[in-house]
Amino acid sequence: MGNLDLGSIFTLTLFAATFRMATPIIFATMGGIFSSQSGIFNVGLESLLIIGAFFAVVGSVKTGDPMGGLLFAVIACLVATLIFALLHLELKANAIIVGLAMNIFAAGMTNYLLVEMLDATGVYQSDLIIGFKEVHIPLIKDIPFLGDMVSGHFPLVYVAFLSVWVVYLILYKTPFGFHLRAVGEKPQAAVSIGINPKKMKYFGLLVSGLMSAFGGTFLSLSYLNLFAEGMTAGRGWLALAAINFGGSKPVRSLIACLIFGFADALAVRLQQFGLPSQIVLMLPYVSTLIVLLVSAISDERKKKAAASKHRKLNTAKA
Amino acid sequence: MLNKSRKPAAVPIYKRIIVDAGTQIANYIIILFISISIGALVIYLSGMDPLAAYLALIKGAFGNGIKTADTLDRSTVMILAGIAGTIAFRTNVINLGLEGQLYIGAFAAALVGFSFTGLPKAVHIPLCLMAGMLGGAIWALPVIYMKLRWNITELVTTLMMNYIGIRFTEYLIAFPFKDPGARLAGSPVLEASARLPKLVQGSTLNIGFIIAIAIAIFMFWFLFKSKTGYEMRMVGLNKDFAAASGISVNRSYTLAMMMSGAIVGLGGAIMITGFFGRFLGSFSSGYGWDGMMIALLAQNHPLGVIPASIFYGALANGALAMQSATGVPQTVVVMVKGTVVFFVTVTAFVRIIRRRFTKWVT
Amino acid sequence: MAEAIAVENITKTFPNVTANDCVTVSVEEGTIRAVVGENGAGKTTLMNILYGLYQPDSGTIRIKGEEVKLSNPRDAISRGIGMVHQHFMLVPSFTLAQNIVLGVEPQKRIFIDEDKLNESVQQISEKFGFDVDVRKLAMDASVGEQQRAEILKALYRGADILILDEPTAVLTDMETKELFVMLRNLVKSGITILFISHKLREVLDISNETTVMRNGKVVGTVKTSETDNRKLAEMMVGHDTIGGRIRTSCDVKDAILKIENISVLDTRGLLAVKDVSLELCKGEILGVAGVDGNGQEEFVEAIMGLRPVIKGEIIIGGKEIQDLSTRGIRESGVAYIPSDRYRSGIAMDALIWENIIAGDYYSEPYSNGLSLVMKEILDTSGKLVKKFQVSTPGLKVKIGNLSGGNIQRVIAGRELGLNRAKVVIASQPTRGIDIAGTEAIRQMLLEYANRGAGVLILSADLDEVLAISDRIVVFYEGRISDAGYWDENIRSRVGQLMTGGEGEYNAK
Repeated sequence: MGNLDLGSIFTLTLFAATFRMATPIIFATMGGIFSSQSGIFNVGLESLLIIGAFFAVVGSVKTGDPMGGLLFAVIACLVATLIFALLHLELKANAIIVGLAMNIFAAGMTNYLLVEMLDATGVYQSDLIIGFKEVHIPLIKDIPFLGDMVSGHFPLVYVAFLSVWVVYLILYKTPFGFHLRAVGEKPQAAVSIGINPKKMKYFGLLVSGLMSAFGGTFLSLSYLNLFAEGMTAGRGWLALAAINFGGSKPVRSLIACLIFGFADALAVRLQQFGLPSQIVLMLPYVSTLIVLLVSAISDERKKKAAASKHRKLNTAKA
Repeated sequence: MLNKSRKPAAVPIYKRIIVDAGTQIANYIIILFISISIGALVIYLSGMDPLAAYLALIKGAFGNGIKTADTLDRSTVMILAGIAGTIAFRTNVINLGLEGQLYIGAFAAALVGFSFTGLPKAVHIPLCLMAGMLGGAIWALPVIYMKLRWNITELVTTLMMNYIGIRFTEYLIAFPFKDPGARLAGSPVLEASARLPKLVQGSTLNIGFIIAIAIAIFMFWFLFKSKTGYEMRMVGLNKDFAAASGISVNRSYTLAMMMSGAIVGLGGAIMITGFFGRFLGSFSSGYGWDGMMIALLAQNHPLGVIPASIFYGALANGALAMQSATGVPQTVVVMVKGTVVFFVTVTAFVRIIRRRFTKWVT
Repeated sequence: MAEAIAVENITKTFPNVTANDCVTVSVEEGTIRAVVGENGAGKTTLMNILYGLYQPDSGTIRIKGEEVKLSNPRDAISRGIGMVHQHFMLVPSFTLAQNIVLGVEPQKRIFIDEDKLNESVQQISEKFGFDVDVRKLAMDASVGEQQRAEILKALYRGADILILDEPTAVLTDMETKELFVMLRNLVKSGITILFISHKLREVLDISNETTVMRNGKVVGTVKTSETDNRKLAEMMVGHDTIGGRIRTSCDVKDAILKIENISVLDTRGLLAVKDVSLELCKGEILGVAGVDGNGQEEFVEAIMGLRPVIKGEIIIGGKEIQDLSTRGIRESGVAYIPSDRYRSGIAMDALIWENIIAGDYYSEPYSNGLSLVMKEILDTSGKLVKKFQVSTPGLKVKIGNLSGGNIQRVIAGRELGLNRAKVVIASQPTRGIDIAGTEAIRQMLLEYANRGAGVLILSADLDEVLAISDRIVVFYEGRISDAGYWDENIRSRVGQLMTGGEGEYNAK
């Protein structure tokens, strides 16, 4: 493989790239957390990302402004999640199947509309697409090392990290968040208080659509100003892995997103050196499995310990 | 916890049987009809003629003997993926890892196909196919172990194993088993002795199709006429009842998962030994997912999987012809498929049909 | 003293049963009223009406003298009624304090005021003398702590009338003592408590007055200080005895089923069955009485191999079966009619023959090599359906289409029809079944015993147990006591044991 200089692989740009590659995953993850905490595992995140990416391009072309693109993406994703919500919450369809169906449908639909609306096949690239511009933060950008990592990102990157904090605040510091989590964790408790589970689940799903719209917009209107078939490349699944990894908690899932973003960035770098990137790309999924295993084993141990403690108390009852 | 007793049926029972059967068939037909109509609507809205488009599609799929043969060939992997989905769903095991098992099975078959020379066809082909089944089954093993030992839901683990499987095979053909001469990423070409014999000259249809039909028929016998199939169905319908009756629920889950993996792995093997001739990266355009949807569409009945798969195969094969003849893009077909699935998921739909039927019959 | 809460002539019926029949109860402020009765006596229905979960068909509810209508729990809560259910409704990942204020969280602008939250909960907790660490996560809290949180939940919302549904069912002795201390404190502050229980010893300890219900009616209300375990038990189960079988005594050498010192854990990992021993003779019908939740379910599941036995042996006809699989146990000659028939008894969407053959399909003549022999299966199924008079148009119909009584006949047919069982375990066999079906099933069990099998019949319905048993044992808090052979006093003996009265442990 020639002489590998680790220094040439692990450069500052790698870390900067990590934030960039983690961003769409973070958005989808945070949105997915909302719906997961309300009790619905949204398997259709992949479809929401691609819908967001597509309509962001459409919006940008039509309005000449990336914010216009974001708006179109949000509307499209909200419509898609509304359909999901209606099918699952009103017509009682199985959430997993609806999610999978949406993935299939959205892939086809975006490819179809690519031809119909943008007159392109496979990829649409044009000067008409106005993307976001990088943001250079004064002062910070001049700090060595840190500056290169933190400044110079596209605005949505900062929004992504901000969103983690916002999601955390909403879920853990507001009554609404408590009610939502109660619905997801112990619906009977929520119902006995008078909370309407269906309403919460609607919210959960719609938020997952909203945030995925941001994620999709980032994909097509920042680093690359284009739309390509399948450009989400499984990030929706990565988001699910991150949600699982983090136990549906914002900060823990963020860590997973960063790890996955790092894996993504590293994989690209390794590829340039002719090294196997696929193994690195496997990491997110393997790590989720490991986390599942570890927490199952530790749960088992805890349960055994608690039970033997209670048994000692219980045998006091003559 | 009080057991509430059920009120006696208001509708005479023989009429209920008619309603049950009629509902199933009606559901199937109505869903297809609506999906095709929606496709037609989309085509019409984009300014083209739906009738011409569908005719072109049908012609492309069944226009002549060769085309029909190609359509059947396309449906082969769908049949197997659909059967794989069926056996899992019937046992109430959520196998979302069909795509990954497909890839692993395909690669395993390719490996046996290009690694051994000088074998007669009668030996090489079965070896490849068995390798495919073994690969798919082994890929399902960790999932079932985690489920039985720690009660870790297979929903998430099969999803993860999917992408691990796909990436792993990608790695294999990019490094250890790379074919330096190839333009597209892939494994070395399979020996001629590993290639499936064709059925129709001029078409890609090969004995894989016969194998798929045979598997479907076997699964029908297995599910409804065999001891083990009965066990698995009972576990799927009510695992507590099955356990109380003495059936081993864990055994059924294990069998379901492994058979599911093996059958879709076989599908991958047939694709490689029958159609591609080598393992190509990204050779599957989501056949694993299609299989799941086909199983649902066929209401998890092995024989129902065959027409559903042929329908999907026709869509796939005819789409290209439709595009070149009328300019309607292939992706309309994907949307029709997607719509089918949407409606399949809606059990409320079934309830409405059932209610109408009941009114009509009584 | 003022009246806190009262009902007058409350009647509530459900499809097959009159749950409350002209019930009139009045409770004084600042007292603890115990409401006792067997399963199905109507106590839970009455409490649910008081909490607004059900609406009575007729009758009135009075709170502090004022007639009210309670359409939902919110109405009840606004009138000062709080209910602590038997199964807690706490969100595991929230702290106890967060659970307590759920729905009425103190806020600071749009956020939750965490400090005020903890403070106000702490205040209430201290006011009523509760000792709870409210910052603990619900999932880390002990059962006693969780219960206190549930009570605080009601008090936080201003409840001054508390309904506790079987509060001591899940507590240890010590936790029960602590709970009672708290309840007495609450009462001193003017709170009124309604306490549902079947544990008479505790009822005698804590309550001021006791209302006894039976079959939906109020039997009477007595001052607790003027009554005792025996009298209450008698009120609960009544005097009438139902005629039954010719009682024979058992020849001990003839034991077909021997259970020796078994202990079984429940799903939480706690001991549900504590060191239980039992002997069942050939031709004997042994009734196992007891209120739901005292370990009988786990006991039966352990015998059937559906739950591990952590200690002890189970022997059938001389062979140890506690380590065998469910199939092995069945092959040793055990038939099982489960209490939850829709969960463990049948598969609703499966066809009738599929349900019938579930225990025997794998052996000759029903299968041949790998496949099922449909002719034999349909043949036998048809015979069983006829013999047990199941009303169905055919064998290939989904069993869910049949009525409850017919479904139970199918189950009985499957388990008893082939006359191979040496031991029959029938759990709540006639629950929810109409008269004709009940008679039929009882008849089947009697015939089985007459032919030399041993029959274990478990039921929370005393009438059912008394109707056909030779001998009765009672499950209470995981242990078994012998009520002895059937005689004219059997009913009161059983009643006492069901409610925690003294008895000898283990029945030989």
